[in-house]
Amino acid sequence: MEYGLNAFQSFFGFGQSADIEIVLDGTENRPLAEIKTEDGKKERHLLYYDGESVAGKVNIKLKKTGSKLEHQGIKIEFIGQIELYYDRGNHHEFTSLVKELARPGELIQNTIYNFDFQNVEKPFESYTGCNVRLRYLLRVTVVRRLSDIVKEQDIVVHTLSSYPEMNSSIKMEVGIEDCLHIEFEYNKSKYHLKDVIVGKIYFLLVRIKLKHMEIAIIKRETTGSGPNTFVENDTIVKYEIMDGAPVRGESIPIRVFLGCYDLTPTMKDINKKFSVKYFLNLVLMDEEDRRYFKQQEITLWRKGEKSYKGGGQSASPHQPTHLVAGEGGPKGTESPRTIGGEPTLHSPSDLPSSAFEDLQREDSSPVQQDTSPTSPDAPETVLGNDPPPPLIPETKNQIPVVDSEE
Amino acid sequence: MVEQQEKLLQEALGIVREQALGMKLNLDKGKLMDALKQASVMLSELRTSLLSPKSYYELYMAISDELRHLELYLFDEYKKGRKVADLYEVVQYFGNIVPRLYLLITVGLIYMKTNPSLKQALLRDLVEMCRGVQHPLRGLFLRNYLLQCVRNILPDVIEPTEPSEGTVKDSIDFILMNFAEMNKLWVRMQHQGHSRDKEKREKEREELRLLVGTNLVRLSQLESINLDKYCKLVLPGILEQVVSCKDAIAQEYLMECIIQVFPDEFHLTTLNPFLKSCAELQTGVNVKNVVISLVDRLASYSQNCHQDETSTQEISQLFDIFSDQVSSIIQCRTDMPPEDIVSLQVSLVNLALKCYPERVDYVDKVLLTTSLIFERLQLTCVEHTSAVSRQLNRLLSIPVQQYNNILTVLKLTQFTPLLSVFDLTGRKAMATSVVNNALANNTMVPTPDQVETILGMISALICDQEEQQEQDPEDFAEEQGLLGRFIHHLKSEVPDEQFLILVGARKHFMTGGDKRIRYTLPPIVFQAYQLAFKYSQIRDQDDMWDKKCGKILQFCHQTIMALVKAEYADLALRLFLHGTLAIGQIRFTNYETIAYEFLSQAFTLYEDEICDSKSQLGAITLIVGTFERLACFSEENSEPVMTQCALAASKLLKKPDQCRGVCVCAHLFWSGKSQAGQELKDGKRVLDCLKKGVRIAHQCMDPSVQTQLFVELLNHYVYFYEKGNALITVSMLNQLISKIREELPNLDSTEETEQIGKHLSNTIEHLRNRSESTEADGVSYDGLTL
Repeated sequence: MEYGLNAFQSFFGFGQSADIEIVLDGTENRPLAEIKTEDGKKERHLLYYDGESVAGKVNIKLKKTGSKLEHQGIKIEFIGQIELYYDRGNHHEFTSLVKELARPGELIQNTIYNFDFQNVEKPFESYTGCNVRLRYLLRVTVVRRLSDIVKEQDIVVHTLSSYPEMNSSIKMEVGIEDCLHIEFEYNKSKYHLKDVIVGKIYFLLVRIKLKHMEIAIIKRETTGSGPNTFVENDTIVKYEIMDGAPVRGESIPIRVFLGCYDLTPTMKDINKKFSVKYFLNLVLMDEEDRRYFKQQEITLWRKGEKSYKGGGQSASPHQPTHLVAGEGGPKGTESPRTIGGEPTLHSPSDLPSSAFEDLQREDSSPVQQDTSPTSPDAPETVLGNDPPPPLIPETKNQIPVVDSEE
Repeated sequence: MVEQQEKLLQEALGIVREQALGMKLNLDKGKLMDALKQASVMLSELRTSLLSPKSYYELYMAISDELRHLELYLFDEYKKGRKVADLYEVVQYFGNIVPRLYLLITVGLIYMKTNPSLKQALLRDLVEMCRGVQHPLRGLFLRNYLLQCVRNILPDVIEPTEPSEGTVKDSIDFILMNFAEMNKLWVRMQHQGHSRDKEKREKEREELRLLVGTNLVRLSQLESINLDKYCKLVLPGILEQVVSCKDAIAQEYLMECIIQVFPDEFHLTTLNPFLKSCAELQTGVNVKNVVISLVDRLASYSQNCHQDETSTQEISQLFDIFSDQVSSIIQCRTDMPPEDIVSLQVSLVNLALKCYPERVDYVDKVLLTTSLIFERLQLTCVEHTSAVSRQLNRLLSIPVQQYNNILTVLKLTQFTPLLSVFDLTGRKAMATSVVNNALANNTMVPTPDQVETILGMISALICDQEEQQEQDPEDFAEEQGLLGRFIHHLKSEVPDEQFLILVGARKHFMTGGDKRIRYTLPPIVFQAYQLAFKYSQIRDQDDMWDKKCGKILQFCHQTIMALVKAEYADLALRLFLHGTLAIGQIRFTNYETIAYEFLSQAFTLYEDEICDSKSQLGAITLIVGTFERLACFSEENSEPVMTQCALAASKLLKKPDQCRGVCVCAHLFWSGKSQAGQELKDGKRVLDCLKKGVRIAHQCMDPSVQTQLFVELLNHYVYFYEKGNALITVSMLNQLISKIREELPNLDSTEETEQIGKHLSNTIEHLRNRSESTEADGVSYDGLTL
C-alpha cells in the first residue's frame, strides 16, 4: 500500500522518495520459522523468543540521487497485535514500542540507522487461526506531510514453556450402560509439540460390533467474548488406531507423533481476545456407522530447542518412550491388561472412583466431521463428560446427549 | 460369486501393480517419501473386506512381493549408516492403520538388521503394535507378514552377545505372543456373521489355519530351544493358549501341530502336561485323534532309537504315562463316545505292541481297563454294526495280528472277558479271526490249559449262546468246518497231554448241540485214533500204552455214541468201522472184544438206523470191506459176522441191491482173514453166494437191469475163477456169456444199453487176452466160448 503511494508520487515526479530496508542483526544465524498468512500461504520469518532483543539496521535508500528528502521525523516501532477478522478496523496492540531514528529534517543521501529494542517482552506466540491472527512486526515510518513512507517487517515469536510440573496421565473409564465399556489412557495430559502420545484403549465390555477406532486432534479456537463469541473447531488430523471389532479384554495401543502436524501451543485467553485449545477425540465407529466419541483436552506446549536437545530426554525419540513396552507374551485369555502395557497403566480398580463416565450415543443430528473415508456421514455419539450417572439408569430410553461438539 | 471375487481381486492387483511400479520408479530416483506414499496406497488395498480368504491371500502375496523391493532398497540405503530411527517414525505418520503397520514392520526389519542392539525392544514393539488390527482376516495376514519378516533375525542364542540384542527367550516371547494373538483372531472368525454360514466359515478357517500354525513351526526352528526351554517356556505357553481359547477347531489343529512340529525327544519328556491338556479340551475336539497321533509318533520313534541310552528310560515309562493320562482323559471327558474311548485304548495297545513287544501284560492291562470302562458305562452288549464294535474289534484284532501267534494271545487273560461285551455276531467274527490265524500260521495249541482257554475264547462258535440267531446253513457249515480244521491244531507232542487235550476239547464240543457235533466230533475221533496209533508206535517206551489205547477207544466209543444219539447213523457207522480198522492194526490187550464191539455197533446202526436202501447197500459194502481187511477175529467171532453180512445182503429190499450185496459178500468168504492173517478161500460159499446172485438176477423184471447184473456177475465169476476157486468152471462162464448175449440185442437202444455192451466187451476182451496168454501161472481158459 505504502509502495503504491510512493510509486504514485514518483510517477508524477513529486519530490523525492525512498526505499526502506530493515535488516535484523544475526540474520545468518537466527532460525526462520514458518507461519501461515491469512490466506493460508506459508511464509518464513526470523524467529524470536520472549525477552530477546530485536536489533538491526534501517537502510533508507533515496530513489533519486542528488535530490533531498524532507521528513517530519523517522521512527521504528515494535508492535505486537491481535487482529480479529470480524473486526478488521481494530487491531489490538498489546505491545508497542517506538524508537525515534531521526528528528524532522532532510535526507540528502542514503542513510543507515541502527536500532535496538532491548530485551523486548513478547508475551504471546505468533498465531494465524480461522478468526484471529496474532503477529509481531517492526514498522519504520518516514513521516512526511502528504504521505508517510512506511515499511513493515514481520517476525515470528515462539513462546517456550518449561516442563510442566504436573503432567499426569489421562485415564478414564467410559461407556454406555451394558453396551460398551472402555478404559482409555493417554500417558500425559500435556504434550510438547514434538511429543508422542502413547496410550492404550482397554475394552471392558463390547456388545456392539465396532468397525474402526480413530483418534482425532481437534483444535478449538475461541474468539471474542460474551454474545460475540466465535468458536471454530478444526480437525487437524484423524488417525486410525484400530481396524476391526475387538472383543472384551483386548487392549489397543495408541501412538501418535505430534511432530508431523501443524500444531501450536495451547493458548489461554490471549489478551482477553482469544483462546486456542486442543482436544483428543477418541472416536469409535460401529458397523452401522454410528459414531461414539469422547473428547479430552490436552495441553500443548512448546519446548525450548536447547532443553529439547540437552534435557533429560533420551537423544533418540525412538527409544523406549515411543515403544509400547511389553512384558512377555500373552498367556491365554488372561486379561491382556496386565501385559504389553506401559508400566504406568493401572487396572481399572486403581482408578479414582469418579472416573466412570457415561459414553453416549447420538442417533440424530449428525455432526459431519469431514469426508475422509474413515468417517462416513453418520450419526455421532458422544462419550459424555457428564457427572457419572447412577449405576442403574433411571430410564433406559433416555440417553442424555452431552458434550456434543460445540 | 466366484466371478465377482475374481473381478475384485483383479482390480486390486491392478492397483497394486500400478502403485508398485510408481514406488519402484521413485526408489530409483531416490525419492523415498514419494515411494513410501505409493507403498501406502498399494497397501491400502489390504484394507478391503470384500475378498474371500483365498483371494485375500493372493493379494497379500502380490503385495508382500512388492514390499520385498522396498525392503531391499531400504537395506541397501541404511546399511551404510543412515539413521533408520527417523524413518521408523515417519512411517507412523500414515493415518490408516493397516498400511501403516505393514510399513512399520518393513522398516522395523531394516532397523533391527542395522541396529541389532534394538532387536529386543523392536520385536516387542512390533508385535504389540499389531494389536491395532482386530479384524481377523486382516490381522492374521498382518501378523503373518510380521512373522515372515523377522524369521531370519530372531535371536537364537541362549546367552546374549549384547544384552539388548536379545536371546532366544525374547524370540519365544515374541512368537508366543504373536501366536496367541493370531489364534484369538482365528477363533474369533467362528463367531462372526450369521449362524447359517457356519459351514462356510469353518471352511474359511480351515484355509487359514496354516497361518496360525506357522508360529509353531517358527518356534520349532529355533535351534537354541533345548529341552529345558521347551518344557518351561514353549510348551506351557502354547498349551495355555490352546486350552483357554475354547475352540474345538483350533484345539484339534494346534495339538496336532505341536505333535508334528516338535521333535519326539521333547514329546517324550512332556507327555504328562501335553496329555493333561488334552483332557481339558472342548467337547467337540476329537481328542482321540490327537492322542493317537502322538502315540503313533512316539511308538515309531521308540522303535527307531532303542540304542539311545537317555531315551530308553523315558521310553520305558511311556506306556505307564500314556495309560494313566488316557484314563484320566476318559474320566474328564464324560461326553466322549464309547467308540472313541475304545480307539484310545487301541492306540495304547499299538504303543505297547510297538515299544514293548514282549510285555504282554501291558496289552492285558489295556484290555482290563477297557473291560472296566464298559462295566462303568454299563455297556453289556455291543451291536455288531456299531462304531464301538468296530473299534473293539480293532482292539482285539491288533494283538492277534501283531503277535501272529495265538499262543501269545492266550496269555492275555483279559481277552476272553472283554469278548463278552460283543454281541453274538461280533464274538463269532472275533473267534473266527482267531481260528483263522491259527490255521494260517499252522499254530499248534500244545497244552490242555491252552486248549481250555482258547476254546473258552471261541465259545461263540462252539456252542449255542443266550442270544439266538438265524444262520444261513452254508455259513454255518463253513463256520463249523473251520472249527473242524482247528481241532487238528489242538495238538501236543506228548501223548498223555494230547489225550487230556482231546478229553477237554470234547467236553467243549459236546456242548455244541446236535447240529454242531456232526462237524466237530469226527475230527476228535480221528485225532483219538491217531493218538492210539502213536501209543502203539511208542509201546516200547510206555508200559501203559495198551491200557491207554483201551481208554482212548473207550473215549472214541463214547464220542461216536454221542453222534449216534444225535442220529448221525451214517457218520457213526463209518467212524466205528474206522475204529475197528484202527483196533485191528494196533492190537492191544483185549482188542478183539473191542473191535467186535465197534463192528457190532456199526452193524447195529446198519440194522436199526439205516433205512434207505441205497444207504443200506453202501453201508453193507463198507462193513464187508472193513471186515475183509480185518484179521483180528477168531472164528468164533468172525463166523456170525460173515453170516450176518450175507443174511443182511440177501435181505436188502430191492433185487438188484440184493444181487450186488451177495456178490460183495462172496468176497468175505474168499479173502476174509483168520486171526493168523490167512485168507479163508472158502470156494463153496463163494459159489453159493454167486449162484444166489444169479438167481436173484433172474428175478429182476427190468431186462436192462437184469443184463447189467449178469455182466457184473460175470466179472465176479471171472475174478474168483482167476483167483483159483476150483468150483467155478469155464462152462459157468460160457453159460453167463451166452445168456447175456441172448438178452443184449433185445434191449432198447439207450445209453445205458450201450454201457452194458461196453462193459461186456471189455470183459470179453480181458478174457480173450487171458486165454491167449501163455503165462505159466495163468489159469486155463480152455473151452471158453467167446
